[in-house]
Amino acid sequence: MLLLRALLLTTMLSRAIAFLPAAPRILAPRHLQPVCRLFSTVGELEDKIKVKGDEIRQLKETGLSKSDLAPHITELLSLKSSLEDLNNPPAAAPVEPGQAELRQARIDKFKLIEEGGGRPFDYSWNNNINAEGLKTMFEGKLDSGEDDPEQFKVSIAGRIMARRVFGKLAFFSLQDETGAIQLQFDKKLLNQADADAFKHLKAWTDSGDIIGVTGTVRRTDKGELTINCDTWKMLTKAILPLPDKFHGLTDVNKRYRQRHVDLIVNPDVKATFRARAMITSSIRRQLDERGYLEIETPVLQSTPGGAEAKPFETFHNSLGLDLTLRIATELYLKRLIVGGFHRVYEIGRIFRNEGLSTRHNPEFTSIELYQAYADYNDMMELTEDIVCNIVDQLHGSDAVQYGEDTISFAKPWRRVTMNDIVKEHMGFDFGTLDQDDPASLAVAKKKATEAGVPGVETLKSVGYVLNQCFEELCEAKIVQPTFVTDYPTDVSPLSKPHRSKKHTVERFELFATGRELANSFSELTDPLDQRERFEAQAAKKADGDEEACGVDEEFLTALEQGMPPTGGLGIGIDRLVMLLTNSQSIRDVIAFPLLKPETAA
Amino acid sequence: MSEPESKNAMKKRLKAEAAAKKKAEKEAAKKAKEAAQPAKAKKHVAGGDEDLDPTQYYSNRVSAIKKIQANGGNPYPHKFHVSHRVPDFITSFASLPDGERDETQTVTVAGRINSVRGQGKLYFYDLKGDGEFIQIMSDLKTYESEDGFAEIHRTLKRGDIIGCTGYPGKSKTGQLSIFPTSMILLSPCLHMLPKKVGDRPAITDQETRYRQRYLDLICNNENRKIFEIRAKVISYIRRFLDTRHFLEVETPSLCLLPGGATAKPFKTYHNDLSQEMFMRIAPELPLKKLIIGGLERVYEIGRNYRNEGIDLTHNPEFTTCEFYQAYADYEDLMNMTEEMVSGMVLQVCGSYKISFSPKPGAPEVEVDFTPPFKRISMISGLEEAMKIKLPSLDDPECDKKLAKILKERELECQPPHTTARLLDELVGEYLEDNIVNPTFITEHPEIMSPLAKYHRSKKFLTERFELFVAGRELCNAYTELNNPSVQRERFLEQAAFNADGDDEAMCLDESFVLALEHGLPPTGGWGLGIDRLTMFLSNKNNIKEVLLFPAMKPNLEEMAILAANKPKEDAVDANAKKYPPCPPTVFKVNGSEEDLGSEHGMKLLSSVLKSSTWISGGQPTAEDAKLFKVVEGMPRECVEFFGEVKGWFYSCAQFSEGVRGNWK
Repeated sequence: MLLLRALLLTTMLSRAIAFLPAAPRILAPRHLQPVCRLFSTVGELEDKIKVKGDEIRQLKETGLSKSDLAPHITELLSLKSSLEDLNNPPAAAPVEPGQAELRQARIDKFKLIEEGGGRPFDYSWNNNINAEGLKTMFEGKLDSGEDDPEQFKVSIAGRIMARRVFGKLAFFSLQDETGAIQLQFDKKLLNQADADAFKHLKAWTDSGDIIGVTGTVRRTDKGELTINCDTWKMLTKAILPLPDKFHGLTDVNKRYRQRHVDLIVNPDVKATFRARAMITSSIRRQLDERGYLEIETPVLQSTPGGAEAKPFETFHNSLGLDLTLRIATELYLKRLIVGGFHRVYEIGRIFRNEGLSTRHNPEFTSIELYQAYADYNDMMELTEDIVCNIVDQLHGSDAVQYGEDTISFAKPWRRVTMNDIVKEHMGFDFGTLDQDDPASLAVAKKKATEAGVPGVETLKSVGYVLNQCFEELCEAKIVQPTFVTDYPTDVSPLSKPHRSKKHTVERFELFATGRELANSFSELTDPLDQRERFEAQAAKKADGDEEACGVDEEFLTALEQGMPPTGGLGIGIDRLVMLLTNSQSIRDVIAFPLLKPETAA
Repeated sequence: MSEPESKNAMKKRLKAEAAAKKKAEKEAAKKAKEAAQPAKAKKHVAGGDEDLDPTQYYSNRVSAIKKIQANGGNPYPHKFHVSHRVPDFITSFASLPDGERDETQTVTVAGRINSVRGQGKLYFYDLKGDGEFIQIMSDLKTYESEDGFAEIHRTLKRGDIIGCTGYPGKSKTGQLSIFPTSMILLSPCLHMLPKKVGDRPAITDQETRYRQRYLDLICNNENRKIFEIRAKVISYIRRFLDTRHFLEVETPSLCLLPGGATAKPFKTYHNDLSQEMFMRIAPELPLKKLIIGGLERVYEIGRNYRNEGIDLTHNPEFTTCEFYQAYADYEDLMNMTEEMVSGMVLQVCGSYKISFSPKPGAPEVEVDFTPPFKRISMISGLEEAMKIKLPSLDDPECDKKLAKILKERELECQPPHTTARLLDELVGEYLEDNIVNPTFITEHPEIMSPLAKYHRSKKFLTERFELFVAGRELCNAYTELNNPSVQRERFLEQAAFNADGDDEAMCLDESFVLALEHGLPPTGGWGLGIDRLTMFLSNKNNIKEVLLFPAMKPNLEEMAILAANKPKEDAVDANAKKYPPCPPTVFKVNGSEEDLGSEHGMKLLSSVLKSSTWISGGQPTAEDAKLFKVVEGMPRECVEFFGEVKGWFYSCAQFSEGVRGNWK
C-alpha cells in the first residue's frame, strides 16, 4: 500500500499539466516534467514475468524435474500476484465506515436549506469566467492586499474543496474545470443583499458541495488571488464527502471504478482526457485537410473479419440472427474504396473478447484509413506526419518522456526490415534461406531454438518462424519509434505481395516503447490471391485456431469489381494516448475501463 | 457473247483480276497471320464484348488477367502516383480554350472507367475519380508507342481502375480531357457493371444497392452525396461544440447494466470474465458521471444499439450525439439547439428551407428551419389541440380516464396501459403528427421522463423538451435530474413498470445513484439522432439510405455462407467427451457437500476454482491442500475433464507434500 501511495504521488507530480486560460484551450509544453521512475513498475513487472516464464519454459525443455521447477514457479506466481495487486487491488466498499453518519447529516441539511428558502439541487447558474481565466486576467496585477480598482464583477461556480469558517469570515477553496480559486466571505458584505446569507453559508455548506458565487477580485495580504464574494447560492448539495484530501484517492481500483471521484481529486486525470480529445481531434483535422472523408461502418456483423481475434457474440431478436461485434473496420472500409471514395477513415470502437491487462481492454478505439493509389511507403510518411504534428501540438518539442525513456519523434524514424532486425538480435540471417527448399524450415527452427525462441516446433513455414523470432527477441526491445517492414506473407493475409521480394508482403508495423502502435500495408487487391489467403486462414480455423478468419465471399465479390492500388493504415488510439501522456496502463486513458466485477474479487 | 473485248475493257478486267488476286493473297496472308495470332483476329472495337452473358464475361476477364500475369505483367500494381485528383484536374484546367492542349505539362490522373468508345487510332473513355468525371481522349499519335497503344486499348474494359499520364486539354467540342502518352491498368473489374439507361439509375434494386453498397456508389454517383452530407453534419456538430469548449470523450459500449434510455439491449458474453454484458442503449449515465467529475462540458458522438425491429426509421445500431453542460438548463439548451440546427441546415443546404418527403411516395413538404422554433408545452398543447381538459396527473383514476379518452377517439395503445404510454399515444396523434416546421414539445410529465428534473414551478412536470421536425423526433433534452433520492425513487417506479410487463422501462443503476450522491452540478443534457438529421438534409425517408451498410435480413445465399463459416457443430458433438466413470468422492464445495465423482459436482468445483486466487496468481491455501488430497485419489481423466480443475491440480502438483502441508 505504501508503494501505491508513492506511485500515485509521483504520477500526480509528473502529470501536472498547466492550462492556458480561455479559448482555445491548448496544452502547455510538458517536456520539462520530472521523470517518473516508480510508476514504470507495472511495465517492469510485466517484463520480469515474461522473462521468468521463458526461463521456466526453457528449464522444462531441459527436462528438469517438477520439484526442481517448483521454486521458479512460485517466484513467477508471486510476481503475477504483485502485478494483480497493482492492477486490481481488492474492491473497497462503496461507503466506508463512519460515512453513513456523515451522509445522513448531509441529507438532514436538505430540510434546513429548503426552510431557509434555498434549494439543495438548484436549476442553473451563469458563469462569466473560470478559475484559470481569472488568474490570467489578473496575472502581474494587484499588489498584496489590493482590491481590483475596476471592480470587475465575477460570477463563477464550482465544487468546494476546502472550507475554513471563522466568526465573521470564511475562506473556501473552489475548484472548477480549469483549476482552483480562493473565495472570501465577509459577513458584513455578504449580508448586505440577504441578511441570513452568512449564517446559511455556515450552516448549509460542506466540502464537496457545488456553489455559485458573485463578487470582486482582491489579492490577500499573502498574495493569493481571491474572490471577495457578495452573494452565494447553493447549487448542488453533495451527500457523500470527498475522499480525505491528504490521503487522496490511492486505491487504484476505486479510481477506475469511480472515475468521477478520481477526476475530482486528481487534476492530472483531467489532463489525460483532455490530451486524448486533442489527439483524436488533431488526427481528424489532419485527415480532413488532406481530403479524407470520415465514415461509419457497422459494428454488428454476421462474419467477423479484418483481423485475427476472438469476437463477442450477440443475437438480434427480431431478425433471429447471430451477430458478432467487429474486430476491425478493415473489410468494410475497403469496400468503400472499391465504391469510389478515394480517401476514407473511421475512428471507432473495436471489440475483442480477450482477457484484461494493462494493455488490453475488450473495447478500444482505433483509426483505420485507406488511400487509393498509395502504398505502404506513403503510409509511413503519413504516419510520421500525423504523429509528429500531434507530438508538437501536445509537447511543443519532438521528444516525449515515457517512464524512464525519452522517446524522440524526430523525423525520419528508423525503417528496418523484419529480416534485418531479427538478424541484429539473433545473429542469423533468414534471408540466406531458400524458402522454396523444404529443408529450410528445419534449419530455421533449429536456429530459432538455439536462440532460445520458444514454441517454434509446430510452426508450418519459415515465415511463421521468422515472425516468432521477431516477436520473442526484438519487439520488446524497440524503444524509439521504428517501422518494422516487409513481413512474411503467411502472417499477413490482407497484404499485397512485395513488389520484389519473394515470400514477403508490403507491410509495416510501427513500434515504440516495446509496443505495437500502428499496422499498415499496401492492400491486397487481387481477388484470386485474396481467395487463396482466406482459404489458408479457413484451414487454420478448421485446425482449431479460434482467431483465424474464414472466407468472406462478399468481400471477395467486392474485390472482383476492382479495387485501386491502396495503402491502408491502422493506429491504436489508446496506445498512442498512453505513449503521449506517459500513462503506463490502458486503464489510465479509458474513462471507464472494464474491470472485474467487484463480487468476483 | 463472244464479242471481242475492247482494249479498255481488257485493261479493266486485268486490273480487276490483279486486284482480286492481290486481295486473295492478302486474305490468305491475313488468315495465316490470324492462325498464328488468334488474339488479333478481329479489328478491335471498344466495349464490343458487353453482349456476352455475365458468367462468360467473368471467365474471359479472369483468363485475360491470368495471361497478363503469365507474360510477366502485373494487373495489380503496387502504386500509381496521382498528380491531380479528378476534381483538382477539373478546377486546374477548366479554363483552357476549346480544341487546345497544354503540352508543356504532363499530369497523372487515376480512376474508374465509366464508359468506352472508339476503335483503331482513337479511343474515348469517361474516367470517374472522387465522384467527378473527365474524358480520356487517346490517339495513336500522342501515345508513347504503337504496340503499347494497341495493347492497352485491347486490355481495358468498362469498370477497370486505370492510371493515365498525359497532357491536359479540351476537345474541339469543349470537353475537358486528358490526352494520354501512356495508360496503365491498376485493377481490373472482373464483372460487367450495370449500365445507366436513360434517366433510370444503373441499379434500382434496393437489396443490391444496400448489400453491395460499393456497386451502388460506383454506378449511382448521386448517392455519394448523402454520405458527404452525413460527414458534414457530424463535423459541423463537432466544430459547434468544440468552439464552445466542450470536450469530446468516449464512454463504454459494453456495460454490465444498460441504462440511460428505455429499450431492449443486445446481450453478449465476456469469455475471460465469464460475465454477461450488454451493448449500450445510450451513453447518458457515464457522461453525467464525467460532469460530476468536473469535466464541465462533455460530448460523445457514437454508436448506440437497440435490439429492435428494422423499419424505415430504425436500424439496430445508430449514431447519436449527446452533450452535457454544467450550470445550464433546458431553456439554455433550446436556444443552443435553435442555433446549432438552423446554422447547420443553412451551411449544408445553403438555405433555411429544405424539401422533405416524409414517407415513400408522399408529396414533398417544405420545412423551414428559420429560428426561433415554435415551443409547445405538452399538456396544455394537448388540451388545446383536443379541446378538452385532461385529468390531473395525480388523479388516481388518471389511467382509466385517459384510456376512456383514447377509446372515444378510436385510438389504440399497446398494453400495459400506464399513464406514460397512454399520454404518449395522444401526443403522437394530436401534436407530433401535425408538426412540419421544427417545433419544441416541452415540459413532459415526470412519469414519462425518469432522468429529467422535476419542473421548478409546475407540479408533476419536468424541465424537458423534444424537437420535432416533420412529425419525427430529432432531439431530446432536459435539465438533468441531480437529486439522488428522487432519482432512486424514479428508478424504483420504473422497476415497478418493468414488473408490470413494460420491458422498456429502466432498471435501477446503483452505481449511478452513488455517483449522484457526490453531487452533480445543475446540468443540461441533450441528445440528437445523427441518422435522422442526415435523412432530413438529404431528403431520404428510409434510414437505410443514410447508412453505408444498413442491417439486412440475410438472404439465402448469405445464410449458406454463414453456415459454411460456422465451426462445424457435428464435429464438436462427435468430439464431445462424456464425463468418465468415477467412484463417489464427496467434498464440501461452497459450503455444501458435493459428489466430485459426478459431472455436476465437478462442474461446480470448476466454477468455484475459476475465481480461486491460486490459479489467477495468488497464494495457495490450506483449503487447496485439503482439496488436492481428495482429488489426487480420483481417476486422472476425471480430474482433467474441466480446464479449471486440471490447471489447479497441476499447479498444486508442482509442490511436494511437505510444502503443501505448510500452506495456510
